[in-house]
Amino acid sequence: MTTYIVRRLIQTAGLLVLLSILLFALVNLAPGGPLSGQGQSRHVDPTKVELLKRQFGLDKPLPTQYLIWLIGNDWMRVDKNGDGILDSYGTRQGILRGDFGFSFRSRQPVLTEIGQRLPNTIYLTVITMLVAVLIAIPIGIISAIRQYSTFDITVTTFSFAGQAIPEFWLGLILILIFYAWLKNPFTGEPLLPPGGMTSVNSIGFDLGDRIIHLILPVLTGALGWVAWYSRFLRSSMLDVIHQDYIRTARAKGLPNWKVLYKHALRNALVPLVTLLALDLPYIFGGAIFVEILFSWPGMGRLYYQAALDRDYPILLAVLIIGASFIILSNLLADIVYAYLDPRIRFE
Amino acid sequence: MYRSKLLSLVFVIVLIVTSLLGCQQKAPSPAAQDQKNITIVIPEDPPSFNPIITDTGYDALVMELVLLGLSDIDPQGNIFPELAAELPTVENGGVLYDESAGTMSVTWKMRQDVQWSDGTPVTADDVIFTYNAIVNPETGGWIPGIDYIDSIDKIDDHTFTINYNAIYPAYLTQFGGEQVAIWPAHYCDATQGFASWDCARKPLSDGPFVLSEWVSGDHMTFTRNEKYFEKGKPALDKITINIVPDQTVRKTMLINGDADLDMWTTEPIIADLKGNSNIEVNPSPTNRFVMRIFFNLAAKGTTDPVATPHPILSDVRVRQAIRAAIDVDTISKEFFLGYAQPDWTEFFRPPYTCANIPRPKFDLAAASALLDEAGWKDTDGDGVRECRGCKTAKEGYVMEMEFITYSEFGEPLELTQQFIAEQLGKLGMKLKLTVVEGSVLWAASTDGGIEQNGNFDMDIWDDGYSGVDPTAFIESYYSTAAATPDAGYNFMRWTNPDFENLLSSTYTLDEQLRKDAFCKMAAILDKELPELQLFTALNADAHSINLQNVQSSTNDVVTWNSADWVLK
Repeated sequence: MTTYIVRRLIQTAGLLVLLSILLFALVNLAPGGPLSGQGQSRHVDPTKVELLKRQFGLDKPLPTQYLIWLIGNDWMRVDKNGDGILDSYGTRQGILRGDFGFSFRSRQPVLTEIGQRLPNTIYLTVITMLVAVLIAIPIGIISAIRQYSTFDITVTTFSFAGQAIPEFWLGLILILIFYAWLKNPFTGEPLLPPGGMTSVNSIGFDLGDRIIHLILPVLTGALGWVAWYSRFLRSSMLDVIHQDYIRTARAKGLPNWKVLYKHALRNALVPLVTLLALDLPYIFGGAIFVEILFSWPGMGRLYYQAALDRDYPILLAVLIIGASFIILSNLLADIVYAYLDPRIRFE
Repeated sequence: MYRSKLLSLVFVIVLIVTSLLGCQQKAPSPAAQDQKNITIVIPEDPPSFNPIITDTGYDALVMELVLLGLSDIDPQGNIFPELAAELPTVENGGVLYDESAGTMSVTWKMRQDVQWSDGTPVTADDVIFTYNAIVNPETGGWIPGIDYIDSIDKIDDHTFTINYNAIYPAYLTQFGGEQVAIWPAHYCDATQGFASWDCARKPLSDGPFVLSEWVSGDHMTFTRNEKYFEKGKPALDKITINIVPDQTVRKTMLINGDADLDMWTTEPIIADLKGNSNIEVNPSPTNRFVMRIFFNLAAKGTTDPVATPHPILSDVRVRQAIRAAIDVDTISKEFFLGYAQPDWTEFFRPPYTCANIPRPKFDLAAASALLDEAGWKDTDGDGVRECRGCKTAKEGYVMEMEFITYSEFGEPLELTQQFIAEQLGKLGMKLKLTVVEGSVLWAASTDGGIEQNGNFDMDIWDDGYSGVDPTAFIESYYSTAAATPDAGYNFMRWTNPDFENLLSSTYTLDEQLRKDAFCKMAAILDKELPELQLFTALNADAHSINLQNVQSSTNDVVTWNSADWVLK
């Protein structure tokens, strides 16, 4: 097992280097650039373009830019004032040493920007996924053991609807219902806030305030996942409960709940766990629509804004960290799979 | 199963109870109710407090709350002093110039009663510090006309002279307006550089408010600056800026009273809010952004209109026919809900308003006649004209072009683009519609920019100049120097020697001469039509009727007079 993990990690490193080249090229070669039109200005003055190119390091050939992005430029002299003469050493350290550069938009270090947003995204997506799983598991089990019952058919219908309803529509409708229409009978204020993580005037940590701000975004985000996971668990459970060993268990005279929870569920959960592990990168990437609708200051919005602004350092950092997450969660899925299913052996 | 039912029931009850509790905790205390607090909603975080760096408008919004410039511009276009004690002019001896040598010097006297929020006075040193930070070739920025400045001499703590190597008519707003603030020399770290210093995110204040908190992507709070120089102002205690990306949510917050001001409200939202008696809109008296069509006078994919003229658009009669065939009133009514103002010249904003340019008539018959006269006729009856004796294309060349716009503006512009294509289609001109991102349309030629590479026939999008002086804007769109790719934005590749002479004659301090020159330029543009101006969109910020003295302005962002805002 250890050999397997080490081998996979080495492969991962190689894959990441290849990916970094690919992503760097894709982001930089995509049409448009960070120097065309900023906000209100449709154009940037040519003199300013020259200055910005120098400040952003875009005045060098693409392979050099890649190298600087990867390993920094503190080992080479750079022309800092545009007079064509190489001045002092650069200050960039490169992503390999943890320097992801600065955002073209805010001029803040990329890691500062990500650091401000990542906890918010993790907070929202982890709760969303937990809620989704907590709802999906019982639904999946009941639908499987009462296949074709009214419950199963109703839930199936809702699941398809849940997967089909776009998040931005559902979110907006929920805001209209719970913020615009329904009022709190005690205070006369809207029942739920329209967005944000906390009330601006809340002081310190206020659990109630946190929870009321979570309800709508979590509901909006979880619906799709509930549908997806519960359908998945239903079919996996159906596979399992028709197996011979379940019949054997029943024949032994075990009570129904024990058969279901101890024998069937544990085996039915294996594929679901893999699926969950594969979905882990969402925790990093965030859900763009939910974040936009509910004014949630997360990674999705940071990435979206960076894509619109062609803020290369932010885009590249999110992409490369995201890619690492995906690769590592695949690895994690394989390992967990082996742990849950003793028949699997990695050589 | 019963257990899971029970669990979900408990979960739901807990949620409801906590939400009710949460709402009750939110109720403000009596002391807080006496406070004059307002909330502004905007869709994205300002990048910093320094609009020179990124110019999103949101940076200007927050800059106007905390930082002053030497001067600013009101919605009517009048320049007024901020840090300056008075505006230097030739008449009051503040401006000395030598027309023949082409030099001038401007002496500014500053107010002596302005201080930073830490109690340090605002002095000439701060202005000189700001100038030096901007011109630093390594870490600086760029502002219009900065290259015309040779040096700044300090006379005393509150007086300094700016020495120009040219006659620069826009000198009054060069260190002011919605773009440029004066930065505190004792607080900002010059080694971090103007473009990225920390004080642009945690500024000291000499304006009406002080930044007290900034939670990235969520909200910013500003409190009253007790040291603000205008006595008794500001009237508000606290301004919260909430970042709310979705415009429907912002609208709902405005209706529910959770937001008092929405910056840059769009026409559809204003129309939706019309029946709401709690919300008011005071649009800017003039507008900045003019929706316009750019004609490529060089053949698609080229940038030289002499060597490779555009087969269709290089004939001015075709451009005139397009102008006559566009029904601006219907566009305004249908897609901009009546809020778009027709415009047909660059010179429509005070003080340079040219009344000598008549509004073009919407006249399909005249448009058709112009195309016939230019040698474009539909002889095969397929509804599309071909070159039959035209001067600019081969015989039989089909009148078919690409018509591009950008996606960020949204639905009204895309509908306008479709409507124009439909109207021109009826005239026998076939347009293929494309929508691209602005950053692709306007990128440098080396980044594959569509316009800089000449890869278009006709484009439609909006632009206009910031401040009250159009010179730099006109130069960047219509001068010969700007007709070279990446040297400016003259994508039309239009040149005219008379226009060029008039343009250089505007570098004078004689206002009447400038006005005359601009109106002569307007006449040339009207005749040659390298660009076709159509209308201006609304510049407005919807706000609660309880928040008074809010006045949207084209010359600045809505917070330009936040010191005067009063909450009823």
